Amino acid sequence: MADVMNVGVNLEAFSQAISAIQALRSSVTRVFDSLKDGMKNKETLEGREKNFISEFQENLQAVNRDLNELERLSNLVGRPSESHPLHNSGLLSLDPVQDKTPLYSQLLQAYKWSNKLQYHAGLASSLLNQQSLKRSANQMGASAKRRPKVQPSALALPPQYVDDVISRICRMFPDMTIELSRPNGTSAVLLVTLGKVLKAILVMRSLFIDRTIVRGFNENVYSEDGKLDIWSKSNYQVFQKVTDHATTALLHYQLPQMPDVVVRSFMTWLRSYIKLFQTPCQRCGKFLQDGLPPTWRDFRTLEASHDTCRQ
Amino acid sequence: MGDLNSISLDCGRKPEHPEETHSDVGRTCELHVPVAEGKSVQQTVDLLHKKLEQLSAVKQGSFFVDCETYHAAGPTSGQPPKLLYVMHNSEMPLSCMAMFEGGPCLTADANFDVLMVKLKSHFQNAKGHKVESRGARYQYCDFLVKVGTITMSSSARGISVEVEYCPCVVPGDCWNLMKEFMQSFLGSNVPELPSVFTAKPEGLYAPADSTDTMTQYLELFSKVRKQQVVPGSTVR
Repeated sequence: MADVMNVGVNLEAFSQAISAIQALRSSVTRVFDSLKDGMKNKETLEGREKNFISEFQENLQAVNRDLNELERLSNLVGRPSESHPLHNSGLLSLDPVQDKTPLYSQLLQAYKWSNKLQYHAGLASSLLNQQSLKRSANQMGASAKRRPKVQPSALALPPQYVDDVISRICRMFPDMTIELSRPNGTSAVLLVTLGKVLKAILVMRSLFIDRTIVRGFNENVYSEDGKLDIWSKSNYQVFQKVTDHATTALLHYQLPQMPDVVVRSFMTWLRSYIKLFQTPCQRCGKFLQDGLPPTWRDFRTLEASHDTCRQ
Repeated sequence: MGDLNSISLDCGRKPEHPEETHSDVGRTCELHVPVAEGKSVQQTVDLLHKKLEQLSAVKQGSFFVDCETYHAAGPTSGQPPKLLYVMHNSEMPLSCMAMFEGGPCLTADANFDVLMVKLKSHFQNAKGHKVESRGARYQYCDFLVKVGTITMSSSARGISVEVEYCPCVVPGDCWNLMKEFMQSFLGSNVPELPSVFTAKPEGLYAPADSTDTMTQYLELFSKVRKQQVVPGSTVR
């Protein structure tokens, strides 16, 4: 509240400064006015010039005076914005119609909340770090030589590491084939073929899956120029739905510290679609609902259900 | 015999106009629907249309499948003459299928018909044996349903229903799903998995998708052909 008080005291200086600005503006206007009018009609040329120059000087001095005054006042006003923790938004507290627009109190709450969040996130992160160190303390020495330990920024992993992770996942699931390609620079694009059911295209950024699109086994995954078509959606409603769910899964499986675990979890989840057309819904026991088979797979149990049955 | 060049003897799919073919691969099932007691073929077809529309299926034009029979002419040493069937399907307007019952099958360009005329000395067209099925084509989600009236020498003989689930390439996998769908508008007249598919080791719907479908139509048509013409067409 001290800041608010401080600002209140300076209000006097504010109003003075505003009038000083007005004075400065009018004196500047006067300078240009006199310049515009030019020399007044006097008998001799010398008289005219003299008069004009003296008037011009007078006007300039007036400008100078007003400017000095404004500078003086501006020092008095100070810089409330910098001392305020909320910067300029702190000035919202000066709004007299607080009842109608409770912006300031909301802002303070949000600020507090975000501070707390940051604090807790920091605590959680440090705790988790300790745990992971304990668990893998023995392997650390051996594995550090073989492959780089996850770096603080998992966005900049060497391509070789990504290749390793993908090929290990590929070996885990025999009914899944994964083709890795790098059409544009270092980012990998995976073409996952799951049995004879579906094909999924995963666009990666290092080990994070950025985008996924699922199409039918018999649909084209290459565009006319022979490149992987990562944009156009499937012609079949069932795979459009699966694409939606896969995108949800991408958002669900998040573990910034261990991106390879995320990819593996996602693949495990995707693999549960191998029986897309063979499994009835675990909730309602039917195959079809609105013409679609159970397209949803639970993230933990991998249980199949219709999109509408899961809620 | 320049026409021979245009015949492909493989069973692969001929390239068609994409706008004329809707589904690439899928699995289909045709069945023969019994006409309800005391109703004409047309009334039963209308009933099926109504049921499909209640499911909010969308009508998408029409379709036809026809089949002509040819007798192998010439000396047949004791054996019964082999029958060659030449079939057309509106899903593949540029192709023509020729198949022996239970035997080899070939997919050719549509001008195969012209060739057959030239082969008159070997294969004779059995006039009056032409069977065709015409009707409406419906789309419901990823299902394609074709309800057709089977006619033989301009008399209605029965109804054919073709159901195709386009996203799935293995018929055995989605059979239960299709059964459930068919029950929703056919009631209890749902058949078992067609023998065309059970006979396959892999169960994969043939990439030459037409052959499996056409084999089923052929079976259906032969069944219809053997039937007695009953006035009023109360066919089972």
